[in-house]
Amino acid sequence: MVIDFSPFFGQQTPLDRIFEAFWSPGMSISQRPYAYPPVNISEDMDHITVRCEIPGMDISEIDLTLTESSLVIKGEREGAKGKYYRQERPTGAFQRIVNIHAPIDRDRVSARMKDGLLEVAIPKSEASKPKKISIDIA
Amino acid sequence: MSESTKTEEKGLPRIKPATDIVETDDGFYIYMDMPGVSKETLIIDLNEDEIKVSGRTSYPSPEGEKLIHVEFGNGEFYRGFTLSHIVDKSQIKGTLKNGVLELHLPKAEKAQPRKIDIQMG
Repeated sequence: MVIDFSPFFGQQTPLDRIFEAFWSPGMSISQRPYAYPPVNISEDMDHITVRCEIPGMDISEIDLTLTESSLVIKGEREGAKGKYYRQERPTGAFQRIVNIHAPIDRDRVSARMKDGLLEVAIPKSEASKPKKISIDIA
Repeated sequence: MSESTKTEEKGLPRIKPATDIVETDDGFYIYMDMPGVSKETLIIDLNEDEIKVSGRTSYPSPEGEKLIHVEFGNGEFYRGFTLSHIVDKSQIKGTLKNGVLELHLPKAEKAQPRKIDIQMG
């Protein structure tokens, strides 16, 4: 947001949210801004990297499955016991499927987690990398 | 250099972290989702009856990577709360684990329910 219109900075009214949705460029990139958990996908020469914000979970509690053409991120967030005064954090089971339409090296996929950010590195298979072919001139 | 980083920091979107407030037998617990915030960048300020929590995510911009799909990015978490007088302010504890900040606010001694003995006269 460029200018803060609301008198209480940090306060968000539903109107603010609509306004922000039009305003911020991030929203136009993502087709489904309200899916949980949020996912960033990027690629470089050797890897496809999937980053995902899942706070409050250990990597051992997250179920990562690599199917034929997709990566499935699954898990369940549990809430605390007690009398709730306010509950905003999502709880319960979640699942997110990332489709991968590229040949990948399935055996070398690695995942790590830090401060609630899950990072899955999927190496591209050798066959999909561009190769230089030398042509002999006869 | 320092000026450019300053404007960059200013440009970070402010995010209100999702928060749970739970009361249990041993006091109140505040849980805040702050993914990507490390212990070093987290600031908890207690001033009189107000507690302010702020933290900044520091995802490095990946070198040479092409972004295909983006749903989240760097941001600055900020949220403030007013504490009730039954909270023992000297005993507040905070733990940051896996991107969730847990604040434990124990109740002051006098606020805890106690049994009153009745003496028969």
